[in-house]
Amino acid sequence: MPLFGKAQKTPAELVKSLKEAINALETGGDRKVEKAQEDVSKNLVSIKNMLYGTSDSEPPADYVVAQLSQELYNSNLLLLLIQNLHRIDFEGKKHVALIFNNVLRRQIGTRSPTVEYICTKPEILFTLMGGYEDAHPEIALNSGTMLRECARYEALAKIMLHSEEFFKFFRYVEVSTFDIASDAFSTFKELLTRHKLLCAEFLEANYDKFFTQHYQRLLNSDNYVTRRQSLKLLGELLLDRHNFTVMTRYISEPENLKLMMNMLKEKSRNIQFEAFHVFKVFVANPNKPKPILDILLRNQTKLVDFLTNFHTDRSEDEQFNDEKAYLIKQIKELKPLPEA
Amino acid sequence: MTVNSTHAMEAEAQFKIAQRAGGGGGGGQHLGSNKSLEVAGKEIADAADDETTVLLANKNFHFDTASELDEAFVELNGISAEEAMAASAEEPDNHTDQQHNPVTWLNDYEIDTLDLATLDIGNMFNRVDSQDIIYQQKKKNLKMVGKYVMGDVLGEGSYGKVKEAMDSENLCRLAVKILTKRKLRRIPNGEQNVTREIHLLKQLKHQNVVSLIDVLYNNEKQKMYLVMEYCVGGLQEMLDYAPNKKMPLFQAHGYFKQLVDGLEYLHGCRVIHKDIKPGNLLLTLDQTLKISDFGVAEQLDLFAPDDTCTTGQGSPAFQPPEIANGHETFSGYKVDIWSTGVTLYNLVTGLYPFEGDNIFRLLENIGRSQWVAPDWLFELDANFANLVLGMLQADPNKRLSLQQIRKDHWFISAPEVTGPPIPIPPLKGDEIRRSTVLPYLEAYHYGNEQEQEDVYFTEHDVNQQLAQRAAAAAAEIRAQQAAAAASALEPSTSAAAAALANGNREETASKKKGSSLKRRAKKLTSCISVRKLSHCRTS
Repeated sequence: MPLFGKAQKTPAELVKSLKEAINALETGGDRKVEKAQEDVSKNLVSIKNMLYGTSDSEPPADYVVAQLSQELYNSNLLLLLIQNLHRIDFEGKKHVALIFNNVLRRQIGTRSPTVEYICTKPEILFTLMGGYEDAHPEIALNSGTMLRECARYEALAKIMLHSEEFFKFFRYVEVSTFDIASDAFSTFKELLTRHKLLCAEFLEANYDKFFTQHYQRLLNSDNYVTRRQSLKLLGELLLDRHNFTVMTRYISEPENLKLMMNMLKEKSRNIQFEAFHVFKVFVANPNKPKPILDILLRNQTKLVDFLTNFHTDRSEDEQFNDEKAYLIKQIKELKPLPEA
Repeated sequence: MTVNSTHAMEAEAQFKIAQRAGGGGGGGQHLGSNKSLEVAGKEIADAADDETTVLLANKNFHFDTASELDEAFVELNGISAEEAMAASAEEPDNHTDQQHNPVTWLNDYEIDTLDLATLDIGNMFNRVDSQDIIYQQKKKNLKMVGKYVMGDVLGEGSYGKVKEAMDSENLCRLAVKILTKRKLRRIPNGEQNVTREIHLLKQLKHQNVVSLIDVLYNNEKQKMYLVMEYCVGGLQEMLDYAPNKKMPLFQAHGYFKQLVDGLEYLHGCRVIHKDIKPGNLLLTLDQTLKISDFGVAEQLDLFAPDDTCTTGQGSPAFQPPEIANGHETFSGYKVDIWSTGVTLYNLVTGLYPFEGDNIFRLLENIGRSQWVAPDWLFELDANFANLVLGMLQADPNKRLSLQQIRKDHWFISAPEVTGPPIPIPPLKGDEIRRSTVLPYLEAYHYGNEQEQEDVYFTEHDVNQQLAQRAAAAAAEIRAQQAAAAASALEPSTSAAAAALANGNREETASKKKGSSLKRRAKKLTSCISVRKLSHCRTS
């Protein structure tokens, strides 16, 4: 206990006073809000210091952190903080994210108590996902860092993936503010690629809804960045061995082939290049279903010509040239299926 | 004039080779002298790259200060002057051997050169005392390959050297693997493996997989340069440097997590590494693990229905039973799991689950029975023992998958930090791994005023330097003893003398220990070469 100055508050006191201040912030009038704002910031700093330590104090003792986390769970403060994130000042928002991420990473042996806690309170996750909504653009990026921290845990990623809210990401990645859209996309990608088995199961189970209804829209977006990013992610998803089943299904649908062939002709060279990496899978497939084969056969000569002149200046990229040569050879050798 | 007096050196060098072969680091490439003579000139020129170059064996060199030297040693070793003289006359290498001569180490490259030199003159043996050899401090000649400025040698493998380099455009620190056609040809499937490695590395991009930045070819020199990100060394070197050749649990846990991440990525890209072992796991300065060496890796076909493989050519001690027993086909992913299990066990215990006097015994032991975790392993950490056991299941179907490992107790838990982690071995005594490229740049830009002096030195100079140091140390000890004796209650001269003698003996012992330690550290990096002077003719 310091000799001078105010005695340090215990975790329980801190949490209590922060909760009161937040409640005041939520309901109070003009003058009250100002005071509450100040209290919230002060308490957040104290809690942050309790978790991280400061430059001139010792790193926090385990029991203090344990006590603090326990108080946070019991008081339901994490949810309250996130719900009122837009009311907290700029520095305060950052502190909330720091506190949240620190408590989330807490581990006792093999257990992650905060993860278990959030599993019982999934509204925390959904509120965070709602942070990308247009209503409060100022909290989007802070929500994003917390969401991605959550996505590192399979249990939490599973809740998010299998929720209706997940499909709102298809809207978030296209919002007009570029930094928010990018942030949303990186969270979206993290959720779809981090836990391989979970993602594969999700994509298989929700194939139609995910690809046919939603992903198609991203690929056809008017926004160049969205189009390019989503095409790249599609390539990564399909070429990941864990998603083998999904890939086989995707490349047997003629609609998808048509889309890729159109994208090969896009104005942007980057999109052409990404499309090539998806297109090659359709051609390389040793068991092409009839509709796919038909499309390829119908365009056989055109495709050979097109590919021969496709990105000829990428001469150093050996792999690309090998693949291109392989595709041209494959297409040249295509033969219609014998009539059964 | 040719040099042929390096019996001691050669013996040491061969010892070094034997050691390397024992370490499983691609030994057995030492083909000695059965090589064409044409390459001799090139090799000798190449040899000039190294630390110190022996310029010539000078028969006419005078030793008028030898007695001073011997006196110093007498003080140190506590033997009579006559004996010392006799010893030095008989075995001129002796002093330097004991006193960790910084310039006696050869690599197989130089041995080849020596062999060639011997062949060159047929049966004309020409003994030169090591004291007659004149050494030359290596000149820091700036060398560039493409846009990369080359630095010192970081390490060496059967395929060639690895040097530090710097990108002259963005000043990034890099490592360059230099492959020579000639050496590649000596390795079974050498060229093929390198092509495959390049092909694979170009596709792979992950935090825990070493990244290939550039590939350069020099057709004239028949060399290939693989520019990679800078790593400070492999886990194997770390283990070799550590006492008991093992690391604490928590440290192994950190590396293991990264290894699993990297492996999951590789498997996602349908790449089976097939040679996971501590020697192929590199570390960066910030302790990020990088999986390297894709020489025997295999990439499954995009449409392969499963991960069936037919070939395995990894290191024997890390091979699973299905390969040891010579099965026709086996699950590729599970091969990597097994090797990862052996690696983890090795990191923590310094042991291998299976051993054998020779490769055949080893493979027989691996293939014979299910591994049983020793009791002490459960006492060390039961969760850890269970995980290793799960990864070392003889039946590939029972063996854990990466996803199961991710859910494992020990994997999830963070083991307590029990003490300092074992360090990354210093590079030539430099623990913080300063750039070795900068001295070259400095020498290039700011001239070589200091360098002009002492460029040439002889064994004699080296000895004298050592003797001076020894004398200084002895004097210090004597002073200490004297002080101790003075402070004693009854300062009798005989007691002081005895103490002095004792002190000297202890000093000798510790000196010896120190030198042997240093020698081990030296061995990794320093090497000398013997070079002919064109104007010297054999007598």
